[in-house]
Amino acid sequence: MSLSGIPWNHFDPLNHFPPRQDSTPGFYPQYLSSSAFFGHALPQLSSVLYAESPAYFNMNALSAEEMERFQKLSNEFEAELPGPLVSPKQSSNTVALEYANSDPTFATKTSALAVTHPFMRIMKGDGNCGWRAIAFGYFESLLNLRNPLQVHQEHERIKSLNVLLQQVGQEEHIYGIFVEATEEIFTQISEAIQRGVRDDQFLVDAFNDEYNSSAILCHFRFLTSAWMRLNPHRYQAFLSLPVDQYCASRIDPTKTEIDEVGLQALVDGVIDASGFAVEILYLDRSEGTAVTPHQLTQSRPTAATIRLLYRPGHYDLLYQPEPTVNMEPVVNYQYAMTSNYPAWDQGTLPFDVGSISMSIPNLMVDPSFGGLGASPMPADPSSPFRVSSPQEMYPQPPMSTPPPPMPVASPPPPPPRMSAPPPPMSSLPPRSTDGPQIRLNPLVMKPNLSHSLPVTTPFKNSPYNQAHFQNQDFEPIHWAPHESRK
Amino acid sequence: MDYAMEDTQNAAPEARESSKLSSGAQKNDTQSVTKRLQAELMQLMLSPSPGTSAFPDADGNLLSWTATITGPTETPYEGLTFKLSFTFPNNYPYAPPTVLFKTPIYHPNFDFSGRICLDILGEKWSAVYNVQSVLLSLQSLLGEPNNASPLNAQAAELWDTDKEEFKRLVLSRHRDIEEIE
Repeated sequence: MSLSGIPWNHFDPLNHFPPRQDSTPGFYPQYLSSSAFFGHALPQLSSVLYAESPAYFNMNALSAEEMERFQKLSNEFEAELPGPLVSPKQSSNTVALEYANSDPTFATKTSALAVTHPFMRIMKGDGNCGWRAIAFGYFESLLNLRNPLQVHQEHERIKSLNVLLQQVGQEEHIYGIFVEATEEIFTQISEAIQRGVRDDQFLVDAFNDEYNSSAILCHFRFLTSAWMRLNPHRYQAFLSLPVDQYCASRIDPTKTEIDEVGLQALVDGVIDASGFAVEILYLDRSEGTAVTPHQLTQSRPTAATIRLLYRPGHYDLLYQPEPTVNMEPVVNYQYAMTSNYPAWDQGTLPFDVGSISMSIPNLMVDPSFGGLGASPMPADPSSPFRVSSPQEMYPQPPMSTPPPPMPVASPPPPPPRMSAPPPPMSSLPPRSTDGPQIRLNPLVMKPNLSHSLPVTTPFKNSPYNQAHFQNQDFEPIHWAPHESRK
Repeated sequence: MDYAMEDTQNAAPEARESSKLSSGAQKNDTQSVTKRLQAELMQLMLSPSPGTSAFPDADGNLLSWTATITGPTETPYEGLTFKLSFTFPNNYPYAPPTVLFKTPIYHPNFDFSGRICLDILGEKWSAVYNVQSVLLSLQSLLGEPNNASPLNAQAAELWDTDKEEFKRLVLSRHRDIEEIE
């Protein structure tokens, strides 16, 4: 029997060579336990077999039983992967440690990553990691936003996508089971929010139940597949196969890795309409000191961002230091000072605030706004930048007074009343010499105003806070174990 | 009694622990598998496809089925009926069923033990496939063998070179369903 007569092709690459201990000791490397190895090393391995050592594969030397046993082993081969399907939230330092002794680029990028994204969840690399990361990230974001209405809307939206499945000819008795599993998660999230459960363990558990999470991931796979088949023009140019074949071989099978096109389609078809953003941070050896971000959704204000860490062939979930909060409802003093409130009652402010606010240490956290010498802020005593009292500020929801969005790097809005001050304003004489004249809010201010204006807390979520990641001078807060105990 | 002793003493404690822990989940899974298979059975009975049949084995175990397919017209298998067995894993439909030809068959993609080389029963398995779609795939494979990946190299060669001889071997290997029972 010649080698060419051997039906090699019917072995699939993943289980081409079952590990065996007998007959050719030492020929099989001991580290054949990873399926990834098979995939990458196969070409070389095969060429070695054909070119140099055909004797090892004289099939006639193996009895039928042996062949059968190998085939069985190879069919059942599954790489042993430790760890849960979705890990608990853990420190990203684990990744940094993993790469500490590797290529310096990796070491630099991973240690930077551990600062900008201190937490992560490891996904099991069983061929579903990308699907699982997105699906879990989606549900987790929904839970974290704690908006029952939104959960309901999303539940209805995902359910309505069944139409896509019907349009591509899937039958309800098949897909119904997958949809049910997803709906169950929505129900659990709703209940958790209503009962005020803060612990997301139920979600982690649901995703670690293999059967249950398979059902959810299948649901997401088939929605993606249907979406691609119904919108082939968007994806065909990126594919080497017709969309139908691509879906049948790369999206539908239960244990195929998601690739870039599939990921984009999953985001477009299933996630995008939720308004969540999806961002991938690529960890590779490209130049630079930080992972390369790539936004899969259009840039827009978003309530939540699902962040994936991509390492070749694998996806995990990443988290920034603080849960990403919606910026809009954040009311802070900075905002109040730089806004031109129409309801500003000059009569209630029998003093000038300009000089006061300038004298408060650390008040101007935005360096472009005051502070270090080159201040664009006019030292004009009639400056409109005033501290308002909470009574005036809070009754107005920030939404209703169209809040000028505060781009981080832009200079503060020009004082609108400089050129044409309104009558009450112009009638007020400069009062900078009158001493501190500010109404104190007993809740936030102690009498000793100039030293105790609570600037830190209200600024916490503002881009004007240096600790905020959008601040141009952003510097992460370094936590030292001893300081917090003081 | 000796055996019982041996079990408690030798069994790895972790293994026993884990089997205890997973028994609850196992039960739910089995229920889900059963639910899915019942849905498939219902569908097969409501809208059977011509030339195929499938039904759970009489032993009441929904995880093993017996099916038949009829050879398509204008193929060497025309007029022949083949019996198959389906064995479903505990995590069906997220893993494929094991499908075997019970009727001896001569075909490039099936071996003499009745094993089948079909990508959708292996790494291309998807949870949307079901008994019916597997049977239809096998039926079409009878008329259009995939000679690029043969299990039976001789059959693959004869299919391309000598259809007459191929058909003779198909018929000589075939047994009627009654005969094999």
